[in-house]
Amino acid sequence: MKELLDQISCCIEFGKINNQSPYPPDMKGKDGADELTLKALNEGLNAGDILNMALIKGMEQVGDKFRKNKIFVPQVLMSAKAMGAAMAHLKPFFSSGDVKRKGTCIIGTVQGDLHDIGKNLVAMMVEGNGYEVINLGTDVGADRFLEESEKYPEAVVALSALLTTTMVNMETIVKTLKDKNPGVKVCIGGAPVTQDFCDRISADLYSPDPQGLVEYLNQLHTTNAAN
Amino acid sequence: MQQIDLIKKAFRLETVDRIPWVPFVGVHAAKLLGVGAEQYLKSTDHIVNGVSRAINMYNPDGIPVVFDLQIEAEALGCQLKWSDNSPPSVISHPLQNGMGVEELKVPCTCRGRIPVVTEAARKLRDAHPGIALYGLITGPFTLSLHLLGTDIFMKMFEDPAMVHDLMGFSTKAAKMMAGEYIQSGCDIIAMVDPMTSQIDPMSFETFVSPYVSEIFSDIRAQQGLGSFFVCGNATQNIELMCQSKPDNISIDENIALDFVRDTALDHKLSFGGNMKLTVALLMGTPEEAQREALQCMDTGGKQGFILAPGCDLPFDTPPENLMAVAELVHDEMRQGELRASAATTSAIDTLDLDSHWSDTQVVIDIITLDSSSCAPCQYMVDAVARAAEPFGNSVVAKEHRITAKEGIQMMASLGVKKIPSVVIDGNIEFESQIPPVERIREVINQRLRKKSS
Repeated sequence: MKELLDQISCCIEFGKINNQSPYPPDMKGKDGADELTLKALNEGLNAGDILNMALIKGMEQVGDKFRKNKIFVPQVLMSAKAMGAAMAHLKPFFSSGDVKRKGTCIIGTVQGDLHDIGKNLVAMMVEGNGYEVINLGTDVGADRFLEESEKYPEAVVALSALLTTTMVNMETIVKTLKDKNPGVKVCIGGAPVTQDFCDRISADLYSPDPQGLVEYLNQLHTTNAAN
Repeated sequence: MQQIDLIKKAFRLETVDRIPWVPFVGVHAAKLLGVGAEQYLKSTDHIVNGVSRAINMYNPDGIPVVFDLQIEAEALGCQLKWSDNSPPSVISHPLQNGMGVEELKVPCTCRGRIPVVTEAARKLRDAHPGIALYGLITGPFTLSLHLLGTDIFMKMFEDPAMVHDLMGFSTKAAKMMAGEYIQSGCDIIAMVDPMTSQIDPMSFETFVSPYVSEIFSDIRAQQGLGSFFVCGNATQNIELMCQSKPDNISIDENIALDFVRDTALDHKLSFGGNMKLTVALLMGTPEEAQREALQCMDTGGKQGFILAPGCDLPFDTPPENLMAVAELVHDEMRQGELRASAATTSAIDTLDLDSHWSDTQVVIDIITLDSSSCAPCQYMVDAVARAAEPFGNSVVAKEHRITAKEGIQMMASLGVKKIPSVVIDGNIEFESQIPPVERIREVINQRLRKKSS
């Protein structure tokens, strides 16, 4: 069983989607995340174990290598695609409530900005780490974030921007959210965003990589669980 | 010397007297005119008026005609979504909707807004002959991404031949646009390819290097200068960017300027950047903007460096912040003042001046930039020398140049804020304005009387 979980984890880490997928070249012709996850379920492994012991483990490796600049967006996207193939088999078990989620994260790319690769990668990593993700898409204004945040007052809000011309909209969104709910945690990220900027607009976290947000959420989860 | 000559000197890595400055004014010029970004980017007249206003206000050495990476994509059939205060965004990707790479055609120069911007370039060329005009073209990787969407990242692994075909096409489109800008009078072609910051060096070398090298070689063949602009953290690809043989690379605040300086100079290339756009220029005060500029200038140095914001200036950047940067660039004394005032709070040690003073002599310290190169400093030093002459050995006068560490330490130790200043027995007596010789003599006499009493 452990061997099968390790194989799935390896497919996620290196972006092996399915049997037909030519990438990575050294895994050509072998089963990918798609077939192996199905196999694991058929052999009686439960969805929670597959998520925790294979998918999250694989994605942690991806997050770690991305943070250390060993891999970049193309490789992470291949891993994301492999993760998506595996998740398609596991989703029915999550929606039935068989697997408990650690918390909720509302995520979106800010108003004026239509870029979604980074935001979707973060969403996928957060989801893969056991959180419910409410993905609002791109070009999301303060009102839309607020509406969703009021529905889920405990949720952490994550804002993404790729352009220097749109990252300035983060300031309004942070202010709108915190005016209504001073306790709400707002995290920001995206290529032009910096820690300086985060301090300036009084956001709670800047992370240059998805793993930083996952770690922050895990920290909040642990603190909340302890209280 | 005209501004364009200063920029060319920096491109040739010759030492310059003053660091050239190129504000990347894009939709910010719309703000200067009081119009929206869409209205601005669709009108030759607005572009010409906006850039001309920016030239008058910011006294630059070079300036882009427009900063909009969607022009080629629009001409190639990508749909755009317009905004009031930022450049448009691409919202449809033709290759995602069933079109094949082989069906793409390099657009006619009459398509989309290509004639709007090339006409603006010609008019700006005529109106501002001394300024270096930058024609900004979309880099082939970013253009390919506009055409195919984010699938391009995965296609690099799943269908590399298709990505090569697409990059080949985008390269042709980029060469067409570069040629149009050069024909319209632009001096420098800035190939802006921000999406390359998202890929690893091996993918860059495989899918980007051959194509961008071809574009820079083409620009050179047309007697233009080529600059490689990248926004975002492209630290991993800087070396490869240099190897693609542009004349200059320009980066934003996500990359350390000293690292880029060393890498670019190793490759005998000039480099530019990387003032913080939001924290310093958009949200900071004029003084913060000046300090940010100074830090970049002190890191960049006077060989090969062009001072610029990291990327496209946000629409709402306060004009006073950019005017403050322009003032600093042209005012070496202000640079000295800022350096010295930073020294009072930074790690530079102030001096122990106990043995500096005398019971019998009047001690005069003149804080200058350098009296051999700065005219007001020279007049101040001369005035003090003439005033002190009749007093012989009773007066000791010394110039402290803040171009040296000792001068900055002395300035900080004496609490001097302005250049040039005259400090007599530790009291700041004259600042900036050159006093009449008689006035200096009066102060010397007062001090001597005190010592003898």
